[in-house]
Amino acid sequence: MELVALQGLNFVYISLTLALVALGLAVVFGLLGVMNMAHGEFVMLGAYSVLVVQNAGLPLLAALPLALAVCAAVGWLLEYFVIRHLYRRPFDTLLATWGLAILMREIVEAVFGRDYKSVNQSLPGTVEVFGAVYPAYRVVLMALMVAFFAGLFLWYRRSNTGARIKAMVSNPALATAVGVNTAVLARGAFIFGVCMAGLAGVALAPLVRVEPYMGIDYLLSSFFILVVGGLGSLVGLLVGSTVIGGSDAIVSAITSKTGGYMTVLVISILFLWLRPNGIVARD
Amino acid sequence: MNRRTLLKSSTAAALLAMTLAGPVTSAFAADDPVKVGILIPQSGPGGLFGPSSKNSAELAVEEINAGGGILGRMVEPFYADVGGPPSDAIQAALKLWKGEKVDAFIGMHDSAVRGALDNLFKGQVPYIYTPVYEGGECADGVYVLGETPAQQLEPVIPWMAENKGASKWYLIGNDYNWPRDTNAAAKTYIEASGGTVVGEEYLPFTADNFDSNLAKIKDSGADAVLVTLVGGASVGFNRAFASFGLSDDVTRLGTLIEENTLAGIGAENSKNLFSSAGYFANIDTEPAKKFAEAYKAKFGDDAPVLNSLGESVYDGLLLLKAIADKAGSLDVAAMEKAAEGVSYSGPRGEATLEQRHTTKDIYLAEANGADFTVVETFSNVGAGDNCQ
Repeated sequence: MELVALQGLNFVYISLTLALVALGLAVVFGLLGVMNMAHGEFVMLGAYSVLVVQNAGLPLLAALPLALAVCAAVGWLLEYFVIRHLYRRPFDTLLATWGLAILMREIVEAVFGRDYKSVNQSLPGTVEVFGAVYPAYRVVLMALMVAFFAGLFLWYRRSNTGARIKAMVSNPALATAVGVNTAVLARGAFIFGVCMAGLAGVALAPLVRVEPYMGIDYLLSSFFILVVGGLGSLVGLLVGSTVIGGSDAIVSAITSKTGGYMTVLVISILFLWLRPNGIVARD
Repeated sequence: MNRRTLLKSSTAAALLAMTLAGPVTSAFAADDPVKVGILIPQSGPGGLFGPSSKNSAELAVEEINAGGGILGRMVEPFYADVGGPPSDAIQAALKLWKGEKVDAFIGMHDSAVRGALDNLFKGQVPYIYTPVYEGGECADGVYVLGETPAQQLEPVIPWMAENKGASKWYLIGNDYNWPRDTNAAAKTYIEASGGTVVGEEYLPFTADNFDSNLAKIKDSGADAVLVTLVGGASVGFNRAFASFGLSDDVTRLGTLIEENTLAGIGAENSKNLFSSAGYFANIDTEPAKKFAEAYKAKFGDDAPVLNSLGESVYDGLLLLKAIADKAGSLDVAAMEKAAEGVSYSGPRGEATLEQRHTTKDIYLAEANGADFTVVETFSNVGAGDNCQ
């Protein structure tokens, strides 16, 4: 029973964290059509923000504004100088952002070094949930993520910005004609996307390894999620994360980690082959 | 003759003169340098160990030259990056061997590259392999410095059983030959110490979530875990392990948890974490302290942290000098005759070459926050039988 509760918590945890990590890519790739290969590097910037805050002796929460500011500034620079010239040229954005990803890794390596960094847990220790001993930080993080996604879902549904983004995505020319400033909107969406990646980096930094090359892991899993879930909707993102994270968690628990990873790959390949629009196709 | 052709022909003449002069001088001058190819990872996953390896090599070259060099000749190092796939490593080694005409190689890289280099060198040039590895190398002209599973585990597992009550072991590693061979050796020692293996699992290199493994470890009732995950995987696993509160009751032993990995694991996640190796940055012996001080003096306080992999390159040069000086030559045939029983002394302590491997002291260290403290030294541990 305790083992079932533990595996269940793991299932929820991995699904939520994957969704958080993939959210930024879902916005940038799903709404703008930009294959942002530097997505994982923004997660890294978020994690290093926590490190900077920790080294300065400030509380973990101070990393949030820092990460958002850094990611927004870098995101603005990238969008203004590179990305906006490449909208609707997916392959060119892929190459350009891959180059930018390398540049960002090298800069972080030059500043902080190649070695692993350790970020302290602001909430060390464990709590008992349904009889299973679980890290306290994870429990709090899971609750925050549920609240965050619920809020985001409601906002996107109800706000004018949400409606304008939907208009821009489905018909950019018409949206411009009715007075939607698509250039500003696209820039805003890009910056929002990379800031969400930074946010994920802040949240995960105490739990994972922190080093200049950490971003690559997050890029790959995010792509799997979008392939399965489909582009352009929050529901698709959550469904994709649950399928990818859940199948990995369940198969790994029953067989081995290799089995879990293979299942993720097989599912992704099947989706690319048989259902390229994913489970939740864009409405 | 215009200016361009003059330039061309004079360059050609100079080149010709150089190539002609080359063999003539080397045949007569005894003070030609000994050229040593130093193959270290400067990119890829092992790139983390590039800077400390290079620094260690530079320090060794400086000290050997100050003491009269190898065979009375100064040592000149040539570095190449072998952090990529074996095919790239072969090209890099070939450039040094045939292009720069290096006399010997020191290698700090993975076993896939070692296998490829064995096939390239075929015993025609001395080659010293320095990092911890799975054992079994027995080719002509190859001398191995790194720790084998037998060395790291044979004395350590009984110690863990006696002092930490380790009896139910869970073995977890990345899925390749080093962890598998290490665990195969571990099983023998665990059984001999009266313990049992309650679980064994190998993870792909891509794994960055260890939740299912931790659930299994908990469910297995293990009181000790042998960690042969490497690099980032080891960092991620050990952090998650501690966050689940497992570190309070379960002892961890790693055979490749060096100073960088421990820094990534972090002080608050390192409770009951042990590591077994031939070198730690703060071994409490005179030679080790002297080495660490010289390293700090030469490269400063912010130098890449010392660790068993980087330091092994320093020992590699000492071993090359010891064999060559005894053989009186850098010729493989002469070195083969002289190698058995050669001994030298370095930061790791006294070491003696037996069956191409070094018999030496092994240190067991316990993590104390983000630093290691050596808790036991096992003297003169043999590398096991590697030539079958």
